[in-house]
Amino acid sequence: MQVTHTEAGSPSRPLSSITPGLLRYPLTLLALLLILLAHLQIGSSLSLNQQWLALFDFSSQDFTVLQFRDSALPRVVMGLLVGAALGLSGSLLQQLTQNRLVSPMTIGSASGAWLGLVCATLIAPTLAAEHGEWPALLGAMAAVGIVLLIAGRAGIAGLPIVLAGMAMNLLLGAVASGLVLLNDQYARNLFLWGAGDLAQMDWHWVVWLLPKLAVGLLILAFAQRPLTLLRLGSEGAQARGMSLWPVMLVLFLASLWLTSVSITAVGLIGFIGLLTPNLARLFGARTAFDELLYSTILGAVLLLTTDALAVLASQWTINLIPSGAAAALIGAPALLWLSRRKMSAEDQRGLSLPGNIERTITPLGWVLILSATLAIALLTLCLARSAHGWQLNWPSPLVWSLRWPRTLTAASAGFGLAIAGVILQRLLRNPLASPDILGLSAGATLALLMSAFVTGGTIQTAGGPLAAFAGSMLVLGVLLLFGRRHQYAPGMLALVGISLMALLDAILQFALAKGTADSFAIMGWLAGSTYRVSANQAVGLWMGVVIIGGISLLFHRGLSLISISDGVALGRGLNLTRIRIILLVLVSLMCALVTSVMGPVAFLGLLAPHIAAILGAKKVLPQLLLAATLGSVLMLIADWVGRVMIYPLQMPVGIVASVLCGVYFIILLAKQRCA
Amino acid sequence: MCLRHFTHRLNGALSHCFVTVLMLLGSTLAYSAETPQRVVALTWEAAEHLVEMGITPLAVADADDYKVWVVRPALPEAVLNAGSRVEPNLELLAELKPDLIISSPALDDLRDKLERIAPVESFDSYRQDHNNYETARQNYLKLARQFNHLDQAQQRLAEMDTHIAGLRQQVIDHFHGRLPEVTIIRFSTPAVAYVYGDNSMPQYAMDLLHLKPAYPLPATAWGITQKPISELGRIHEGVVLHIEPFSQKDKLFPTRLWQAMPFVQNHRFATVRSTWTYGGVFSVEYLAESLVDALLSLQPE
Repeated sequence: MQVTHTEAGSPSRPLSSITPGLLRYPLTLLALLLILLAHLQIGSSLSLNQQWLALFDFSSQDFTVLQFRDSALPRVVMGLLVGAALGLSGSLLQQLTQNRLVSPMTIGSASGAWLGLVCATLIAPTLAAEHGEWPALLGAMAAVGIVLLIAGRAGIAGLPIVLAGMAMNLLLGAVASGLVLLNDQYARNLFLWGAGDLAQMDWHWVVWLLPKLAVGLLILAFAQRPLTLLRLGSEGAQARGMSLWPVMLVLFLASLWLTSVSITAVGLIGFIGLLTPNLARLFGARTAFDELLYSTILGAVLLLTTDALAVLASQWTINLIPSGAAAALIGAPALLWLSRRKMSAEDQRGLSLPGNIERTITPLGWVLILSATLAIALLTLCLARSAHGWQLNWPSPLVWSLRWPRTLTAASAGFGLAIAGVILQRLLRNPLASPDILGLSAGATLALLMSAFVTGGTIQTAGGPLAAFAGSMLVLGVLLLFGRRHQYAPGMLALVGISLMALLDAILQFALAKGTADSFAIMGWLAGSTYRVSANQAVGLWMGVVIIGGISLLFHRGLSLISISDGVALGRGLNLTRIRIILLVLVSLMCALVTSVMGPVAFLGLLAPHIAAILGAKKVLPQLLLAATLGSVLMLIADWVGRVMIYPLQMPVGIVASVLCGVYFIILLAKQRCA
Repeated sequence: MCLRHFTHRLNGALSHCFVTVLMLLGSTLAYSAETPQRVVALTWEAAEHLVEMGITPLAVADADDYKVWVVRPALPEAVLNAGSRVEPNLELLAELKPDLIISSPALDDLRDKLERIAPVESFDSYRQDHNNYETARQNYLKLARQFNHLDQAQQRLAEMDTHIAGLRQQVIDHFHGRLPEVTIIRFSTPAVAYVYGDNSMPQYAMDLLHLKPAYPLPATAWGITQKPISELGRIHEGVVLHIEPFSQKDKLFPTRLWQAMPFVQNHRFATVRSTWTYGGVFSVEYLAESLVDALLSLQPE
């Protein structure tokens, strides 16, 4: 249907772009038809012939006929529409940014839409049920706006936009989990939406979505020229008398619109938008128009296929498998496989944080910082809320025995993550690199979820730290394996992180979609809590963090050289590969240790090194020490806030730290761009 | 003589032992006879059981949410909030100085910490591999024994059984002895519903009312399974009851497919007022009450 429209809409298409597509299009359309029929066979009990007759039998009140017409058929049409919209939206985004890692999922629009809808559901449930698209669109636009602001013009084509998008995902995810945890029962039904499900009961959503996707036809009709010009580079385009920015902005908004309405209609379905354009290129789509059109069709094929699998799986097991989870389960490994050759170390575009301040930390500064640290530590230990209001005194022995393990854990985690952050940022020469981005925490969490699933226990009791540790080490193994082929290129490492986090998200959404009390236990753990840590674990973590931190201090010279450039490091006779592996292993160990004891904490490893740099710790050694101190203090404060904020309930320290640091981080970046 | 002396000594020793044993027994008995006064319930099931026994707990985890979601039996106003059910506030518990903490296996990893505060009693809760209702019943009796309320507890259970038997008779009379098969659902979205299957409290309530499931589902931990709503079309004969609340009625009920559902066509669909479905033993009684009210609103065939 879309094909005929668009071919009529762009008569100026050069002939050369048709030839390679001659065989590709009929084949893909045939595949689309086949998967469509197969999907209908799976989704309805009628035979093909009966289905054909049912299409024209408007008077029938037979339930199976109606089930086919009002449930199975709209589901297929919905899959077709949403798949096409996501494919087109992804292709448009990737061509606009000239970045093959960009998609609604990776630049934060999906999580922005999700948070928008969560907020709307909690504030005005009836309104959200009726007009969910507006809060979703608003959320998506705000999130992407900030991401673009962070990445800046130069960063759009490279890794920065993806890293900024991931940071945004982490922050919005933390805020959404916090809201959901606070609102327990009310939020249950959101989980299924979060997992993305295509089940339909009538044509309502199709009718709702169809006119809103008309934008897609306009894109197909008019986007070809600006996108082709864009390939020449924006200077080249301007030379031809075209100012690209207004056009790009409109196209960008159109792409966001497609994503937002799709998400409102069916929930979060990741990966289709990311994978489809990449596959389209792999199958030979070359020109701008070819890529847009082919991605549209291919997106439909992909989503229908995964949804058919989801329906099949739901019939085999008694549980409902959400379509979005199925898409991500297939998409994450596929993405890794697709991009395995294409990343290289030179994918480094300029992105700086306000760290180049002409200031060096003085001995007096050290004294001040250390005494402030002690004062804050003491205050977080002694100031607390009780049944009788606020109290400022040294805790009783019993309360002390309950309080010190969590406080020590928080401080040690902050210490460790900050050191890991410094090493990683210097190693990858990327100020946005952070331990969470390598996917180490995601790996640990995945392993934990799996072990809970296999043993049938809750996430708190199943295997615990051991499973988490195994998960992190497995990710490290994958990183080293992939990394060796690419000289440990930052882009590759980030890609593994993205894939793992998306995979984690899919499995997580699937586990959460059940909406039972166990879902909340999982969310509680994912929030990064020091609550359950025993005295032994706390001491163990502290010792481990200090030892690993001590070892990494030994490599400060190598780290200084690498952070200047590979050339300088090589020139000084450094074995670059070996030192990269060593440092990477140290970082992974640190993350595995912290995550296995207290769950994931985002942003801290990103932010602590920056604050250290702002305070004037420019060389590696002082930066390591100062960042570690700051990391501990930040975590102490977060733990304290978590204990007193919603007393007698408690907020997990991980969420508090992620939100506090994340917001500060965004403000920092935005301020720098605006300045 | 010697022998007598020996037996005397033996007797003495034995009686000494006996006395010691008695004393020990006495002290443990005295300990257990001293019924706990300051009790904290970290699960809602335990809170329900305590309140049904006439005991006001000092604090209950997520007490505020309990008042919104469980509702019956009503929690006295004075009950404090002990933090969340997943992460009870340990420091608050320490400050409250309870003499008994009622926990569940889900909180087993906290046992060390809890025991530092007060003796801990852990009661099994919802699981896939046991009968959730029978477990709740046993838990209630065990708890009653601990508080020396066994007689009252047994009486309360007997009352419940009589009450349910009365309700059962009402249903049998209403349907002239031909009981319909029943399936209970809770809507999640206009396209997906939770169906209560084996091992769910609503199904145990149905069992006690002698109602058979119209859409049998295997046992799960909480007894619920998510299903697309169109699946419900497989229920040809039975009755479908949905438990309130469902905010998106307007999006589902007018649709053609919903209207074509056999149970809608035959007017075998009714609404059950909002009732907690993951509770303790008496939640089955309240559920039976609500279910029967809904069933009586249907026309007998």
